[in-house]
Amino acid sequence: MKEQPIPERLQISPFLVFFMVMSIQIGIGVLGYQRIIAMDAGYDAWISILFAGGCIHVIIWMIYKICDTAGGDIVTAHKYIAGNFIGKALSAIFIGYFILFSLTVLRTFIEVIQVWMFPEINTFWFAFAFMALCVYIIFGGFRTVVGISFFGLVLPAYLILTFGWAIKFSNFYNLLPIWDHSIKELLTASYHMSLTFIGFESIIFFYPFIKEPKKSQKWAHLAVLTTTLIYTTLAIITFAYFSEEQLSKQIWASLTMWKIVEMPFVERFEYIGIANWNLIILPNVCISVWIVSRLIKRVFNIRQKVGVFFIVAVVLFMIIFLDTRDKINMLNDSVGKMGFIFTFIYIPLLFAAVMIAKKLKRGKKK
Amino acid sequence: MKKLLLICLVLLLSGCVDKEILDDINIEVGVGYDLAEDPKDKYRGTILFQEFQPDKSVINRTFSGNGKLRQDLIIDVTRQSSEPVVTGGLKVAVFGPKISKLGIYDLIDSFQRDPSIGARVFVITSEDKAEDLLKGEYGTRGNSTYIYNLIQHNIEHRDIPKTNLHLAFRNYHERGRDMFLPRLKKIANDKVELIGISLFEKDKEVDILPLEDLFFFKLLVDKYSEGNFDVQLKKGDLAAIKSIKSTHKIKITDNHAAININIEGIVREYTGTKLTTAVVKDVEKKLEKKVERECLKLLKKFQELGVDPVGLGQIKKTQHRNFDYKKWEDDYKTLGFEVKCNVNIEETGIIE
Repeated sequence: MKEQPIPERLQISPFLVFFMVMSIQIGIGVLGYQRIIAMDAGYDAWISILFAGGCIHVIIWMIYKICDTAGGDIVTAHKYIAGNFIGKALSAIFIGYFILFSLTVLRTFIEVIQVWMFPEINTFWFAFAFMALCVYIIFGGFRTVVGISFFGLVLPAYLILTFGWAIKFSNFYNLLPIWDHSIKELLTASYHMSLTFIGFESIIFFYPFIKEPKKSQKWAHLAVLTTTLIYTTLAIITFAYFSEEQLSKQIWASLTMWKIVEMPFVERFEYIGIANWNLIILPNVCISVWIVSRLIKRVFNIRQKVGVFFIVAVVLFMIIFLDTRDKINMLNDSVGKMGFIFTFIYIPLLFAAVMIAKKLKRGKKK
Repeated sequence: MKKLLLICLVLLLSGCVDKEILDDINIEVGVGYDLAEDPKDKYRGTILFQEFQPDKSVINRTFSGNGKLRQDLIIDVTRQSSEPVVTGGLKVAVFGPKISKLGIYDLIDSFQRDPSIGARVFVITSEDKAEDLLKGEYGTRGNSTYIYNLIQHNIEHRDIPKTNLHLAFRNYHERGRDMFLPRLKKIANDKVELIGISLFEKDKEVDILPLEDLFFFKLLVDKYSEGNFDVQLKKGDLAAIKSIKSTHKIKITDNHAAININIEGIVREYTGTKLTTAVVKDVEKKLEKKVERECLKLLKKFQELGVDPVGLGQIKKTQHRNFDYKKWEDDYKTLGFEVKCNVNIEETGIIE
């Protein structure tokens, strides 16, 4: 029953969870979430972001409770409640989820490059090069992946300041009157924040790799709080910058806001911004591919390196078929939905199951 | 293994996209649209390039083409130009008189769709054909830079309200607000002049505000503004007032709009003998009266034309829940106005 513990030299310090969670959360959703939530709740949608952020804290608390009780990652938790075979079968589902996650992130980012910068860039070859880099990073081990997420968050952090240019052309009265929408509309908007917020659930997969995991919980909460605040601020600036009907036309509102940036030495800032976004996307793909390879190892007892090649092959194969905006949009929507189901429905269920199992097991011991 | 991978990456990535070397392309810096003479084509467009010479002078080069779409025009022009045309450096877009009366929505759409066009482009209308406006020879730094700077400093220090491509389109898309664009006129081959503001209803130009009204227009439209105005006093003396800061507050109840304007200004010029406190008070009073009268006139005018560049509808929306835009359209026709102005002259220059 007891699994082999992860040796300490492979583990990470608790505070690094902050960078892990934030860097996988911030990815492609943030480029255009404003339009999607404004469709439901208009310019009250920033309230929905705060609400969604609040809910995530509860989920994070549950994740830590699950992992703490089961004493390991999600595979251990599944085994804990359902035994070895069913537990592994349940865990195998998430292989598909994270493959789709990395595929969505990569393909959407390539689409952004194609629409905004180089229409002629070849999807497959870019994905190939990007994946080769990911393989290289993942072969460095989990600690290298964490290092990349640290740099993938810190280096492009200056980008948040570039949205300041938009403030000069904003009209914050747009946000008034506050609370002009029904609770139902606000909740729908919160639901549509899924794609932008998901990623934090990765904690449940790399939990055993954290040194003194209990200490890391506050960092996870802090990370979610920071992302929530960033998203809210950005949404408020966006709402003030665009008029409502104009925003409904912007697929990538955050990128469109870069059009107003003016620097003496840069005519079009989008080029720099999107190139920098590469660094934000990199940890997204790396972490999710690492998670899949870890799952494959745990479930099928296949060497992690072999698993990585398998995932890369699948992603590269599937990316060929995603060639239009419609398909990419559909993929985004469905991954958002899956993420919602996983984080807000499955994790609470798992939490309940683990708690019940704990009670039962304790009963048996007595 | 690792080194091999890196070499592969370098080789693969460098071949991915086309190069665009600055000296081998034509950067479109200005564009003008007129109605085509031939009804088969919709537009006659003119594209302005700036060619930088080795001695640092700039040559303005224009190409014209016809077409139904903006892209047709670029294709037409590419056929005449020795280098490929790119649009990333656009600074000024001009709409001719006929086309602005007919509607410019199609072109607005294409400007918004194009990722390479910036948000700080100035969109303007011209008194005569846009083609002629772009074909002048203004200044030494190129036409588009000249026109761009002309509008820029007039926004910053004079009577043009803040505008650019983004703001114009924001106003266009906003419910309960209409778009306005600055209007230029070519007065000689080397001279161009601001002559007012074009008022739009949806995407069609309906009226032109003359220069005299711009000071008051800016007070109504822009939140903080600088502007200049002359006040005539009793004895035929004149005082030139420069407003350094102005704010407005608009409050709309059911059928009544109360507009409060605050101006902080300084006296720039005075033709009388002595500028006493009494005279300053008089200047303030006169200016207040004038602003109240003129702003009211402007608001009435907008109401008659059925346009709303001030954004009263949008302002009412921010002050009332469950706002109904359909009802507002009728309400606007019968809306009553009240303008209150408060002028505060702070300084009178360095002599007394």
